[in-house]
Amino acid sequence: MTRKPVAFRIEDESPTKPPSAKAKKTATRSRRKPRAIPADEMVIEPEDFDSAPMAGALEPQATQTITKTIRWGAIFFSAFFSLLVMWASLTFMKLVEDLFARSQVLGWIATGLLSLAGLAALVIILREIFGIFSVRKISTLQEQAEIARNNNDQKTAKQVITKLRRIYADRDDLTWGLAALKDHETDIIDGRDRINLAERDLLQSLDEQAGQIIASTSRKVTLLTAVTPAAILDILFVAAQNMKMLRQLAILYGGRPGTIGTFKLAGMVASHLAVTGGLALTDNLIQQFIGKGLLGRLSARFGEGAVNGILTARIGLAALDLTRPIAFSSELKPDLTDFLKNIVSFKAGSDENVKSS
Amino acid sequence: MKLSDLTDGTRIAFGNVGDFASDLVSPSLRLGVTGLSRAGKTVFITSLVHNLIHNGRLPLFTPHARGRIKRAYLEPQPDDDLPRFAYEQHLKTLTGSDKTGSDRQWPQSTRRLSQLRVTVEYTPQGFFARNIHGGKLHIDIIDYPGEWLLDLPLLNQSYEQWSTATLATSTKAPRDKLAKNWRSFTQTLKPAEPADEADAVKAASLFTDYLASCRDDEFALSSLPPGRFLMPGDLEGSPLLTFAPLKLEAASKAPSGSLHAMMQRRYEAYVDHIVRPFYVNHFARLDRQIVLVDAMTALNAGPQAIGDLKTALSDILASFRQGENSILSSIFAKRIDKVLFAATKADMLHHHSHDRLENILSLIIEDAANRAQTTGAGFDVSAIAALRATRETTLEHKGESLACITGIPASGEIIGTDKFDGTAQAAIFPGDLPQDPAAALNGSLQDTLHFVRFRPPVIKAAKPLQPAPALPHIRLDRAMQFLLGDHFQ
Repeated sequence: MTRKPVAFRIEDESPTKPPSAKAKKTATRSRRKPRAIPADEMVIEPEDFDSAPMAGALEPQATQTITKTIRWGAIFFSAFFSLLVMWASLTFMKLVEDLFARSQVLGWIATGLLSLAGLAALVIILREIFGIFSVRKISTLQEQAEIARNNNDQKTAKQVITKLRRIYADRDDLTWGLAALKDHETDIIDGRDRINLAERDLLQSLDEQAGQIIASTSRKVTLLTAVTPAAILDILFVAAQNMKMLRQLAILYGGRPGTIGTFKLAGMVASHLAVTGGLALTDNLIQQFIGKGLLGRLSARFGEGAVNGILTARIGLAALDLTRPIAFSSELKPDLTDFLKNIVSFKAGSDENVKSS
Repeated sequence: MKLSDLTDGTRIAFGNVGDFASDLVSPSLRLGVTGLSRAGKTVFITSLVHNLIHNGRLPLFTPHARGRIKRAYLEPQPDDDLPRFAYEQHLKTLTGSDKTGSDRQWPQSTRRLSQLRVTVEYTPQGFFARNIHGGKLHIDIIDYPGEWLLDLPLLNQSYEQWSTATLATSTKAPRDKLAKNWRSFTQTLKPAEPADEADAVKAASLFTDYLASCRDDEFALSSLPPGRFLMPGDLEGSPLLTFAPLKLEAASKAPSGSLHAMMQRRYEAYVDHIVRPFYVNHFARLDRQIVLVDAMTALNAGPQAIGDLKTALSDILASFRQGENSILSSIFAKRIDKVLFAATKADMLHHHSHDRLENILSLIIEDAANRAQTTGAGFDVSAIAALRATRETTLEHKGESLACITGIPASGEIIGTDKFDGTAQAAIFPGDLPQDPAAALNGSLQDTLHFVRFRPPVIKAAKPLQPAPALPHIRLDRAMQFLLGDHFQ
């Protein structure tokens, strides 16, 4: 059966009957061919073929060729940690008991302290779990946005926008962007354009701040590498600064990674760099030039510092790709050269020079 | 290469050198708006200008959305010999003359070339823009009937070639029936005999009737050169338009004083006095082009109309000078570097189906698109409604939900057994567009689609102390971004 054109007369001003849930489902069904297969035998996908979500298409699924064996290492560690926890609780219990034996007051104080510590530990654990989830949430959102953009899928785009608005609902620096987004919520806009609009209205102002974070961190790294006396201090310092930058970036874009979340993010950044590193040939040339070339001739320490600074900027760029809820559209994507100038120029207030992309 | 190609080229180059020089100081952008008749050119221009001037809702037009456009206003156009696009008058027709807008209607189709200059002041970004011209862009909108473009291939055709081709197409269905009168008369003419003006007049008027009947809604054919026969303007009755194809023997020479010779002379005069000046003075100087296509009417009329639209659009596209502009080429031979194909009247359809409409349009302009892509011109397809006359709604009907549009159907529109009077509101379900666009060409859509024309929407009057609301639209901002967005540097 093909649907014939129909007209409905409208008497009053509010003609619409809200569609039932079932009716809503049929609305998205694709066009029916006349009498090909009896309707009750037909199973129709809810989406058109070409707009079917390609979730998981971004990374190849690992084939399950490895047969499952007993993971002795995991058993060892969980058993060992359980023992450790038992030992710790026993020790604390004993301590409290001893204190009670000695004096009622001390005992109660110890109990109080112990439960406070327990509560704090619980909160920390919960926060870490939330942190890991929030890192994951951003990456699924990113995936969804990419699907909406590539397939020009209106429905997915609307879902992405709703999620974004939830993430940024309590940010007062984004009030204007959120209002702009809400303003054209009901307009007829393609999925691709809707994502681009969200990117422009919400994320572009954040990109500016992100650029400043990256630039100031890499400048700090450059300077401090140049002045620290021992190489081991360098490494510690660079690592700490980079972790701090990752965390700042994630928070800026609406993620709330805890310590473990930040480490997870660092892992993701490392693998991202490993994948994209091959493409950044030109960056290496720049590093050669700055590190071993001109600057290196002037001062070996300073050359090293510049290399570390560039490395930090590259880590920052990779982190941008991972923490931003919508992947950069091609014309907005910043590259290393946007930061280079800032790394080697130490004018006061050069933060403002960062390209606001 | 013919001598005329060479001289045309030189004249175009001179014109372009002049444009380039004046662009340095006050940049201008020549936007060509075309489409076959009733495609919605007038409404498109009116709505575009209105939205620019009245600060419309244009979230996808980046310079506007970023607040970089300070103001836009109409200015006297640069070419004094062209009629001005009657913006105010068309706007009044669209919105109605009184507050309730009871006499609002779609504007009459324009049948001639016209021009309008909108000047936009914006915050410049580049060094050059800041210091030389201070952020001012003139947008010269040039509106011309698409039928004229169908004449451009005549520049390279001799009378004999044109005659044979026109006679050949007139034997194909559904044209064969419409051309019967004219063809039987042509059979009686003897091209080699001395010319008789009465014969020529009769042949020309029968030929014109045939072309006109092809254009009727029922058939909605598009590929009908020569274009001035259907929109003669002040040339009506002049010898320029008093010629028709003749049945000629292969490789026959025209004896002087014969009917053949007279027709040939008039054909050449038509090409020289009408087609070539349009090409050299206006068409070859465009920067950007939007081609409006009324796919809805063609879909209503059936697969032949779609097929014919496809032919016409391919012919139109063959005449565009597309390609990326380099500095040298923009001085000497300007090319159109971006072409947008827009399926207009997308408001006759629920937005869920817009993708499918775009697919059908892509299929219609397939040949044209391939050409555009090989020449490096930017190219896009979009379903738009320059003036949105409907709202969307979902209705439940016999257990299934129908994505409908509501509005006031124009008087005389019929769907099923319902006839509309132009005052009642109605929800229309126009049928499902096919998922496979090829279905629009192979005729399997018979009687499954019917699009209804709506009256223009009532534009609410401005509230006190607030600016007048701009005309509502669908994806006009996207079209503007594609066509104009990169010029606000």
